[in-house]
This record gives sequence, structure tokens and C-alpha cells, in this order.
Amino acid sequence: MDDILLDVQGVSHCFRLGKNTVLRALDGVSFQLRRGEIFGLVGESGSGKSTMARCIMSILRPTAGAIRYLGVNICDPGQFRAHKELLQTSRQLIFQDSASSLDPRMTVADIIAEPMAIHRARPPRGSLRNEAAFQLKCVGLDQGCLDRRPGELSGGQRQRVAIARALSMGPELLVADEPIASLDVSIQAQIINLFRHLQEEHGFTFLFIAHDLAVVRYLCSRVGVLYQGKLVEVGPAKEVFADPRHPYTRALLSAIPIPDPRRERERVPQSFDPAQFCREGRLREVSPGHWVLEKEGES
Amino acid sequence: MDERFVLVGARTPLPPPVKARKWYEGRPVVSMAVLAGIVLGCLFCGAFVSGEPGYMDLLHSSEAPSKEFWFGTDTMGRDIFAMIWYGGRVSLLIGALSTGISTALAVLFGTVSGLAPRWLDDLLMRLTEIFLSIPSLLLIIFLQAILGKANVWSLSLVIGVTGWTSIAKVVRSEVLRLRNSEYVMASRCMGGGFFHILRKHLAPNFFSSIMFMVVMNVRAAIAAESTLSFMGIGLPLEVISWGSMLSLSEKALLSGAWWIILIPGVFLVVTMLCVTNIGGWLRGEGEQRGNNL
Amino acid sequence: MRQKNPFLYYGGKLVGFAVSLFLLSLAVFYVARLAPGDPLVSYYGDRAEKMTVQERTRAEERLGLDQPIHVQYVRWLEGAVRGEFGISYKYKTDVIEVIAARLPNTLLLGGIGFAVIFAGALALGAICAWNEEKWLDRIICKAGTVVSCIPEFWLSLVLILVFAVQLRWLPSSGAYTIGGGGIGDRAVHLVLPLVVTAAGHLWYYAYMIRNRLLEELRSDYVLLAKSKGLSRRAVLVRHCLRGIMPSYLSLMAISVPHILGGTYIVETVFSYPGIGTLSYESARYQDYNLLMILCIISGGTVILCNILAQIVSERIDPRMRADTPPEVTDHG
Repeated sequence: MDDILLDVQGVSHCFRLGKNTVLRALDGVSFQLRRGEIFGLVGESGSGKSTMARCIMSILRPTAGAIRYLGVNICDPGQFRAHKELLQTSRQLIFQDSASSLDPRMTVADIIAEPMAIHRARPPRGSLRNEAAFQLKCVGLDQGCLDRRPGELSGGQRQRVAIARALSMGPELLVADEPIASLDVSIQAQIINLFRHLQEEHGFTFLFIAHDLAVVRYLCSRVGVLYQGKLVEVGPAKEVFADPRHPYTRALLSAIPIPDPRRERERVPQSFDPAQFCREGRLREVSPGHWVLEKEGES
Repeated sequence: MDERFVLVGARTPLPPPVKARKWYEGRPVVSMAVLAGIVLGCLFCGAFVSGEPGYMDLLHSSEAPSKEFWFGTDTMGRDIFAMIWYGGRVSLLIGALSTGISTALAVLFGTVSGLAPRWLDDLLMRLTEIFLSIPSLLLIIFLQAILGKANVWSLSLVIGVTGWTSIAKVVRSEVLRLRNSEYVMASRCMGGGFFHILRKHLAPNFFSSIMFMVVMNVRAAIAAESTLSFMGIGLPLEVISWGSMLSLSEKALLSGAWWIILIPGVFLVVTMLCVTNIGGWLRGEGEQRGNNL
Repeated sequence: MRQKNPFLYYGGKLVGFAVSLFLLSLAVFYVARLAPGDPLVSYYGDRAEKMTVQERTRAEERLGLDQPIHVQYVRWLEGAVRGEFGISYKYKTDVIEVIAARLPNTLLLGGIGFAVIFAGALALGAICAWNEEKWLDRIICKAGTVVSCIPEFWLSLVLILVFAVQLRWLPSSGAYTIGGGGIGDRAVHLVLPLVVTAAGHLWYYAYMIRNRLLEELRSDYVLLAKSKGLSRRAVLVRHCLRGIMPSYLSLMAISVPHILGGTYIVETVFSYPGIGTLSYESARYQDYNLLMILCIISGGTVILCNILAQIVSERIDPRMRADTPPEVTDHG
């Protein structure tokens, strides 16, 4: 398949917490992102979602495994350096907390134009300021914000600015690390729709990291479930939600609130016992494109 | 409001008396004015000082202040009034120059140390500690000996090179705080290099917290110049500065010529006091602005 | 949090101290020799200039100055480990003797100065905090700021001018009258240097104490203590002063080198025969052996005080202990 944009192969990452304690944030995770799709990565907090995002963005270097982006192994410093310009412009990251991912002392115009200023790109619309104004319009903010500072904007507006900054270089891959977790519910819906709209317009590949399953179901075409640093299930969103195979996924899905109180009451919540979780195992394909982590030898 | 919900005994606080803040309130106006006066006087002293500051009038040596010589003359017969203004140029210049050198060194060292991996950071900090443990007086004597006969530039360099550590520590701790912030991480992801991040993100954010230290460094540098010149390892007698004027004071002590000691010293102290007051005000301002952000 | 083995803890500190001292001596040794100047001049005086080339070579050989610097350093280090630091070129006696003659003077001045600053800052800071924003506090604050702006050498000059030259109450220089030397005589000679030493630093620490006390006074536990009916004085003395003591102690440990550094200048102005004047001389006249030991002593004091301050704050406040946060490797 040549339409694979990002190929994550057996990536592990360990944090050293002290002399003898090591935290395994990621443990042999493999998945692939096809060009132009929206891939949702879900899991509870501490399951390694953010670590995954940071490995993909080369903020962290995985302790094992390889990440190939357009065929370039970005975990290899030599290859990274050779394709630095490409990697830095065509991959963009949106952070969870827009209050801290935007420099409080810069104006919105400067923030949006920063990637272009770094790479000395020729702005297609004349000046950097015009470019920033254009991007701002794309994410649904008016020109009045250009000279404001992040502190003067609301949470939703700030996140829009962060999105505008990420889009200003026309990225191929957009990684969003829980971009809506710190927003109000009504704003969340706006931002989600904005993502959807922008993705249709620009056609970038989108890795969407969240713990809100309802949102993932709405937005993503494929979904992967992380638990304790292991990828336990991956497949088309519809199928995973309709027919979850891994016990953890089932427990996770049963926790989605149903907006109908009667049905909600009838439902039997499922729980997942961490003691039963088996780390050793292999992903097995249960139906086309739908893989589940299973113990070796079990079918 | 419904009557039932009014708390008994709760006194509604009176709104504080609102008084329009005058522009000068909360600012060290006197210090600013005096400092401005001294700086301007030194810059444009040619306009109101007649005669050469270095001219030795041997007929009028060690004369007390009089109509002819407002501040008296020193043991070599030079007019102290003229020397104060011309010497002030040198003292202030050294203060500014060496602070510039210190700040540049401190910002560079602090950011490198703050952004570096932990082992390098530890090493750099250990080296700073050792550097600090060499008595600065000795360091200055060595540096002077290496650089040869002291002049304004070499003395600024020496004072600047020995006085950067305290600013560097503040810069480092600020950078350590800032470097894990997501906007620095984002900038790195986008490919921002060391100097881009330093200029765009780090410097604007730690600027206000080192401002006070930088201003205090000016004060320390002026004091260092005068101390060194007084001890005979700074500027020589013929390069007039407030410090080198004071290096005549041993002789003046014997003859009881108080004006040779007091007048340059008063200028020195007043300048330093003004700088201190302005520095203190800047610190308060910086803290306030930091809270507002 | 894991409690470290105290033996390892202090052992580690000791090793760090030794390594720092070693690096310090290395740095000073090289810097001193890189500085231009003729060490023979300090040994032979004016005779050095009249020497023939052969005489010079022989003299250099005798003092070991003909060897490359690293050989000289190793030789010096060997001696130092055995406690032999060589002879002073200028005084032509063992450097230990030269220093032993001067050290008590500096210790006396520095020690009393330190005690005065330590107690004075505490008292002054407490008075200011007690009278916060009242006229006494304001006057002390203003006066303190002014005094802290006066360079030490100039304050010395003014004091000499007033008390020694004009009023003739106190002597202007030295540690004792030549020939005399009773305790009274010594005390009289100490007054002016002490005043200058204390004045230069007192306000800095007093201000620190004042602000820390005010911070404490606004904290919740003080409110609790007050609500229990304790008087303001009891709160200030029993709770707040005790609360800030650890940080004050570690601050004062760091202050030792600063106060010592201040005495260097004071000693020079008052021609007080102490370590400060000796260092100044040895650096100016390339008296290498003397210089080395002086640097080791003063640098060692600095490093030791820093370690002491670290220990005080780490032992008392476990938050300060350097437990490492998870390391983040980055590349790119």
C-alpha cells in the first residue's frame, strides 16, 4: 500500500522515574495511518496517548521501534536531520491546553505566522500579517483578534488560534492531543465541527487523540484503543463501536452515557479487571482491518 | 435582593475611595529626575564647564571650594567641578558597558544551561560554583594583568566578566520553568532553532524577572569601577572617573582636604541610590504585570 | 520518599568538595602563571633585573620555574597533599607561617563582623516587621537603602576623615599600635573596620528577614495562633522567627564568603594586616605559592559554606532535596 502516510512499528517508550523505577508508557504499539483519514486514538488517562503523540512529533524519542513518515524513519537522528525541513513543516501538533501552548506575550498574528517566520516561507498572500488574517478567517475568527494576546481570548478562541497556527504551513499530518478536553461542552461541538470541515477542505491526515468516545465515533473513520501502553484493538470506527472484541474496549464502550434515561438504566455496566489484562499477546485480525490483542494460542 | 437572604451583622464593605492615580504616583520621580540630571550633565558638560578637566594648575592645588573653583581642586591642582562631569561620563559608561557584557554572558550561559541535558547543566552549574569561589578581587587582578594597562574598555570587560553569575542563575531557573511549557515545545516542533526560541519565547518571558537584576548590576558595576580605581588596579589617575578621583584620597586624608573625598563620593552614592530606587520600582512593576498576564 | 543513607549522603558531599577544590586549585594555578609578570622580582626584589641570563636560569631552576606548567602543578600537588605548600617568594618563609601570622586578624574581624550582622539583621528585620509601614519601619528602610548604596571603601574614607583625622578619637589604620598591643588597643583598632563591614551587609539581610517575617505573619497558621489568643509578640517571636530560622541559617551560610570578600576591601583601606591584604599583595607580585594557598583557603571556604547551606536546607526542608524529575530525552 503506498497511500500509507505514517507507519508506527512496535514503538515503546520508557520514562526513567528514578534509579530503579521505569515507567513503560508505550509497549510495542503498531498502527498505520492512511493518507486523508481521521484516526482516533482513545484510552483512559495514563494509557500513553500523549506519549504516542509526542513520539510521532519527535518531541520524545521512542526507546524501541520505528516510526516511518512518508518512508522516512523519524526515530533515526540522521534521517531526521536529512528531512528536517519537510518533517517540521508537514507535521503539526495541537496541544490539549491552548492557554499554555500559545506564548502569552505574543500577539495572535505573530503566533499564527511563527512557523512561516521560522522557515522563512514566502507568504502567498503578500505579508505574514495577511496570511495570519486569512488563516484566522478559515478557523472562524474575525480580524479583530489579530493584535490581541492569548490572555484576552476565550478558551475556544485560543484553540482556534492554535489550529490556525498548525494549518498555516498546509500540513500533511495533523496530530491533535486531546484538543477539546479543556473546553466547555458547547465549544467542544464547535471545534469538532471545525475539525471536520477543515479536514474535508484541506484533506490532511488527522490523528485525533481523545478520551471522549462519543466524539471519536462522530469524527473518526478508524479508531485504536490504548490500554497501559498497549494497543488492544484497532479497526474501522463503525465496527469497533458496534462489535467490540477486547474486554477492555467493551468496558470502555459501556461507559458511554446514553442520552435516554430509560435505556441508560437498563444497561448493565461492564467493568474491566486490570489483573486480567494480559500484556503478552499478538494482534489478530478478526475481520478485515479489525485487529484485537489476544493471548498467544487462543483463538 | 430578597430580604430573607440578607445576612444579619454582615457589613457591606465600603468601596475604597477612588482617587485618580496621578502619573507620578508610585514612580520614583525624584530618583528619575536626579539620575536624568546627572546623566544629561555628564553628556553635555561641554556646554557649561569651561576649561580642560585634566589641566593641572599647580598654583591652585588642594584648594577648598571657592567662587573660582566651585568644588575645589585636587592635590594635583585639577578643577574638581570639571572632573566630576567628565569623570561621570567614564563611570557611567563603564557601568553601562560592563552590565551589557554581563547580561549578554548571563543570558547565553543561563539559556544554554537551562536548555541543555541534565548532565551538562549540572556540569555548568558546578563550574559556575568554582568560578564564584575564586575571590573576584584576585580574578580581576589576573585579568587586568593579562589585558595589560587598564583603560575604559578593558576595565568594563573585567567587571562584566566577573559579574554575570547572579543574573545567569535567574535566567537558568526561568528557562528551566519555560522550557517545558508547551509553547516552547510547539516552537521546537515547528523547527524553531535555539536563537529563535531564545529571542521569541524565552527572552520576552524572562525579561521582566531579570530587569531588576540588570539594573542592580549597573549599580554594582559603578561601585566596582570606583573600588578598583581607588585600590590602584582600575583606571590610572590620568583617566578621570569618579573612582580614579578618589584614588587621591589617601593624600587628601593627611591634609584634611575633605572635598576631594566627599564630592566625588556623594555623586557616586547619589547615582547608585537613584539606580537602586528605579530598580526597586521596576521589580514591583514586573511582579504586577506578571500577575496580570 | 526514600531516605538516603546518611553515610553516603555526607560522603557524596565530601567527594564533591574535594573535586571542586581540586579543580579550583588547577584553575588558579594555570591562571596565575598565564598572567604576565616576573615571579623572580618578588623573590629577589630589584636584584632580579640586574641578573645575567645564567643567574636567572639557575634561580628559576632552584624555584622549579623552568618546568612546564603541568609538571609544576603535579609537584605542587604532591607537596600540598603532604601539607607542604612551599615558601613565599616575598617573605622567604614557609607560607603557612606567613598565613598563620595574619589569619587570626581576619578571623577576628570577620567573626565579630559576622556575629554583628547575624544578630543585627535579625533584630532590625524583626523591628521593621513589628512596625510594618509605621514611621520607624519607614525610616529604617530608607536609611538601610541609602547605606547599602555606599561603597565600602568610601564609607571607610569618610569614617577615617571624621573619626581619625578630624576628631582624633580612633586610629586610622593597622590592627594594633606598633609596640603596644593590649586588648583595649586592639578593640579600638577594630571599631572602624567593623562598622564598615557590618554596614555594607546588614541591610541586605535585615530586609530579607523583614520580608520573610511579613510573609509569615500573613499566613494561615498565624491567624490560627492569633485566634487562640496569643499576643502578637508571642506569635512573632515564637512562631514566625522560628519558622524562618532554617532559611535564614542557610542564607547566612552562603553569606560567609560575601562578608569575607567585603573584609578584603576593608582590610586594604585600613591597612589591616589580614588575609585580604595578603591576597592582594600576592596576586600583584606573583607570589605563587602564597597565592595558591590563599585561594585554596578562601575558595574552600566558599565551597564549604555552599555545601553547608545546601545541607541545612535539605535536612530541614525535604522538598529541596534534589530528586530528579523524569528525564525527557529530546532530539531534533
